[in-house]
Amino acid sequence: MYGWIWRHLPGNAWLRAFISLAMVLVIVYVLFQYVFPWAEPLLPFNDVTVDQGMGTAVR
Amino acid sequence: MSVRILVRSFSELCLTVGTLIVLFVVYLLYWTGVKADNAASDQISGLEQQWAQSPAPSSAPPRPTASQQPAPRPAPVPAAYTEGRSFAVMYIPRLGKDWHKPVLEGTAVKDLQKGLGHYDNTTRLGQPGNFSVAGHRRTYGDPFKDFPELRPGDAVVLRDDTTWYTYRLDALPFRTVPSDVGVIDPVPTESPFRSPGRYLTLTTCDPEWGSSHRLIVWGHLDSTQPVAQGKPTALDG
Repeated sequence: MYGWIWRHLPGNAWLRAFISLAMVLVIVYVLFQYVFPWAEPLLPFNDVTVDQGMGTAVR
Repeated sequence: MSVRILVRSFSELCLTVGTLIVLFVVYLLYWTGVKADNAASDQISGLEQQWAQSPAPSSAPPRPTASQQPAPRPAPVPAAYTEGRSFAVMYIPRLGKDWHKPVLEGTAVKDLQKGLGHYDNTTRLGQPGNFSVAGHRRTYGDPFKDFPELRPGDAVVLRDDTTWYTYRLDALPFRTVPSDVGVIDPVPTESPFRSPGRYLTLTTCDPEWGSSHRLIVWGHLDSTQPVAQGKPTALDG
């Protein structure tokens, strides 16, 4: 996968390295800005109230 | 040849997933804290600005009787808290000298990412009933990380636009299950309270990183004083 990407990037090794770095930064930005905030509430760290989660059965 | 590609693709996949997991842990442990601290200081500075712009009219004629007793102030006709907006700042000296967090109306995910959340079905600050607040134990600034350190007699001080409210805790943190919604009742059955009063309930999760249980502390309103009189003595020490 990574080899395939590298072979399909234009330019010489320096330009390819620069483009790769830019892609990594964009991916990390997208993860932190959109993907992780979406995934995080699905984990149990948000359940700090008494009427959520399992409480729905009682209410 | 094809085996080689298969093995290489599989190891690349493992590396990618590993990196993703590390990034997610960094996000949880570090980045949510940065975001929450920023959001909390935004909320607090917004509140301070709001309080500075509209000084409460009731603080102009200081009533000497209003201090040191939770007396019902004559008909302030309070406006309802706005969902998702902060309306007070909480100080708990036991959790740190500088520990202070905004209290927002509502306990939705978004509210708790910016500070503490007031259960919108419970009473208003300082009023008869049970003023109940939830906060994160871990992630989003770890506001209630040291929740088990709370002890009876500890002060929980809140400030809104007009008044400082000093609550005192009455019991050690109480561990219960998430479905135990009775802990935020006006008179919680498991609490030391037996008759109606002006109570405070704080809730967070237990264990630290889990969600199987909840930790609860209860307190009662000990004293109030107008903001014009300065900070309450509970915050001096």
